[in-house]
This record gives sequence, structure tokens and C-alpha cells, in this order.
Amino acid sequence: MPHWITITTLGLSLLAVGLTAYLTVTHYTDPTALACPDTGIVNCTAVTTSTWSVILGVPVALIGLLWAIGMTALTSPWAWRSSARWPDAARLALSGAGALMVCYLVYVELFRVDAICLWCTGVHLTTVALFGVILAARASLAPRASRASNASGARGASGASGASSARSLAP
Amino acid sequence: MAKAPSGSERNARPVRPNSTGASAPRAPKNQSKQSGPSKQSGPSKQSGPSKQSGQGGQSRPARQPGQPRPAMARRNTPPPASGIAGFRKRHPMVAALVPVALVVLAVVALVVVKATGGSGGTPPASKATAGGSAATSAGTSALAGGVLADVTSVSPTTLSAIGEPSATTAPMATGAKAALTASNGKPEILFVGAEYCPFCAAERWSVVQALSRFGTFSGLSATHSSTSDVYPNTQTFSFYGATYTSTSLDFTSVELETNQASGDSYTTLQTLTSAEDALFSKYDKAPYTTQPGSIPFLDIDNKYIRVGAGYSPQVLQGLSLQQIAAQLNDKNSTVAIAIDGEANRIAAAITAATGVQPGSSTATTAAGS
Repeated sequence: MPHWITITTLGLSLLAVGLTAYLTVTHYTDPTALACPDTGIVNCTAVTTSTWSVILGVPVALIGLLWAIGMTALTSPWAWRSSARWPDAARLALSGAGALMVCYLVYVELFRVDAICLWCTGVHLTTVALFGVILAARASLAPRASRASNASGARGASGASGASSARSLAP
Repeated sequence: MAKAPSGSERNARPVRPNSTGASAPRAPKNQSKQSGPSKQSGPSKQSGPSKQSGQGGQSRPARQPGQPRPAMARRNTPPPASGIAGFRKRHPMVAALVPVALVVLAVVALVVVKATGGSGGTPPASKATAGGSAATSAGTSALAGGVLADVTSVSPTTLSAIGEPSATTAPMATGAKAALTASNGKPEILFVGAEYCPFCAAERWSVVQALSRFGTFSGLSATHSSTSDVYPNTQTFSFYGATYTSTSLDFTSVELETNQASGDSYTTLQTLTSAEDALFSKYDKAPYTTQPGSIPFLDIDNKYIRVGAGYSPQVLQGLSLQQIAAQLNDKNSTVAIAIDGEANRIAAAITAATGVQPGSSTATTAAGS
């Protein structure tokens, strides 16, 4: 596993945790206390106190925090090293869902609230970057897996010494 | 990739040093780059490993380290795939990042649409042209009996049934910590409009109804929007000369111009004070509106701002004051849904901003003069 993948994804996830935790805390304490300029289109409070800041009774900030915590778990070194299939699928699904949510929230900010929240934008950028890195990691690891699978399959066919590798690579 | 890449790689590592002579575990780097590893060796997509390493192609001998790949191996390599599949195999990284590119493109498209004038559910407002000295309100007339009573006596059942229509947006929260307080210490609500303005005409119906839940209007007159503007001759009230009384709130209105043409504009009626002008300049711009300086402008205790009408004046087209007022208690009426719904939004914003609940009234506060 290349270190850059683990470091980058875990770093982005932790950054998302920090940003969403700040937004969540201010949501439950004082939404107007967000450290954010009020210069025209930039207005964090207008966004975080709008009708759209809550989905089905749950603050969007809290949803983001839970998402970020989940991504942190899925991008930990242990999750990346796991030979099980589900962490990879969950990483892809969760990061993809996050990217789609970004599209929706940007639409809401621009067309429903008419304001942009800088902290939210930070989360959005982190989310899309995380999605991109995860996709890039999958693309860069796929050839390795294929080559390794090829090699192991060859060893398994040519001698008993390759049996263990072939078995461990089986789906 | 779904096959646990990390695990695959970890398990694959021991293969490399042990692969001397036993098989051909890896293709040369240059070949891998040219045609893509999955084409060469992907066990799930092709029979590559078995064929190339001898399981299926029994006649090919094992290759020693450093020995060039036999030409036969290249001949046995399947032809490159074409179309999307081929692109994905030739450029796996680019293909993998296509979803990210789509997300970025979607966001950029939203920004471009917004920057080029896209708007939300709130109809646009007329442009204010403040300034000038006081003038007469030649375009107003006495309010017909029963109109105000119809506006202020809509049943709670109807109001509750209509609620806050999802087709329109609510007044925007400013996040301001400092409230707008009148000289008498009460939370202040400021309305800036003009009698010629059709969007102001529409919004006044809801403002009158909403504020009547917290106090009482008197001295309202009848007027209409310009006959030469969009949504011509929209019937409405004028706040000019009216008085609003409430124990809890203060209402100030400024009708900038009449509906009487004067050259290229309209006759000036009232002007903003320096304090009102400061609020108008501060809040009548983005993000509260895409058209800075527009009217109607409604400032609710500096906590909520509404620029523009909450619904389209089209709803009121061709209707008299009496016809409009008579529909307000019908929860299925388009007119009632528009006016009562916007009034519900304004009343909710007033309560949220000031903590004052509907139903309190009596003490006197001067309104538009």
C-alpha cells in the first residue's frame, strides 16, 4: 500500500472531521458565532441558520460530522490493509455520496439561500478531494492487484510453492 | 479493484523474489505501460495468467530472469479493446477520475448559472429610485369598506392549512446580533416600497395581514401599481399616511414614489432617513437579493430580510381590491395561498426575530407618515 494514499485520505478525512465538528458545535451553541466574514455573497450564518440547514430534523452539520467520522474509519491504515471487500466498497460509496451531497448543498447555497458559507465550502472541497483520491487510489492499485493475481495464479499452476498466494488472493 | 487491492499487493510481494524461473509473474514495465496491465494479466477479465504462464499454453517454456519476452507472448496478447472499455484500460487513472470531473463540472455549472443571472423561487423586485422631497399621493383613494376586515380576519384554520408554500422562499436570516430598535424601545420592522411598484403591491397584502396579527392598522388607503409597468394596475394598499398600533412592535414604512408618472420616473412621495438609508444600503444587496437597491425591502428587526415579493404579482392580475380580499379565507384559492402563505412566512420571521407571538396589540406606534 503506497503511503501517499493512506496519508492523504486519512488527512482529508480528519480535516473534514474538524470542519464539520466546528459547524456542528456552532449549530448547537451560537450559529452567529461562526468565524466568517459577512461580505455580500459570503454569509455563513445565513446558510447555517436557513431552512435548508436541517434535513428531516437532523442538522446538515451533524450529518457531515457523522460522514467524516465514517470516512476516517474507512481511510485508516487498518481499513486500507484489510483484505475484505466491504471497506473498499464502503469507501467508494460513502465518498461518492458525499460528492453528490456537495452538488446539492452548493445548489441550495447559490439558489435557495443566496449565500455562501466558507466553512461549508471547506468541507465541500475536502469531500470532493477525498472522492478523487479514493478513485485515484483504486485506479493505481488495480494494476498491482491484477499483476499480483496473475503472478500468484501462475505460481499456483506451476508449483506447490505458489498455493498460499493464490489462495489468499481469491475473492 | 473490488478484490481488496491492499491485500492483493501484500500477498503479492513474496512472489517477486521467488519467481525466478518458475513462471513469468510480471510483464516488462514498458509493456505494462503501453497496453495496460489488465489486458496482459487480469485473471477476471481474460484467461491471461493461465495462458501466458503456461497453464493453458503448455508448449511455452519458463522464462529466465532478464531473458527477453518471447515474441510468441506478444502474438498471444489480445488486441486492444476499443470504445469506453478500451479507454479505461489504456488510461485507468483518467477514467477513474471521470466521476470527480463530473462533480466539479456540476458545481462549476451551478456557479456559472448563478453568475449569469439565475434566481431562486422569489420573484424579482422593482428597482428603487429614492431621493427627492415629499409630494402628494395623487394615486391613492379611500379604502373600500370590508377590505381590511377581510384581510385581517382570515381564520386560523385557513392559515394553518396554507402554511408556508414550498414554492417560495422565506425571509433570509441575517445573523446580525444587534436588533433594530425603534426610539420607543420596541423591535422595529421597516418597509421600503413605492406605489408604482407591482412587487410592492403584492407584498403589501401579506405585510398588512402579517402585522395585523401583532397590532392594528388604521388610515390605510387604496392604490395600484403603475399602469405602464409589468403586472400593470395591481391593486393594493398604500402605507402612506397609515398608522400601526402594537404593544410589542414598531412598524415604519417609506413609500418612495407615487404611481403618477413624472418624466421618466414617478413623483417622489417620501425619502429615507439617513438611518433607514444605511439599513437599505447594508441589506438591500447580495446575498439578500441579486438586484441591489430593489424594492420592496422588508427589514424585520435586522434579523430577517426580504427583498422582492414573496410571490408573483401575476396572481393578482385583473382582480379588484374586493375580489382579492374576498378570496383570502379560501384555502384552495391561488390568491389566498400566495398572500396568506407569504403572511405566514413574515409572521414566523417576526416571531423568530423578536420573540413576540401573534395576538398582542393595543399600544400605539406611529407608522408611515
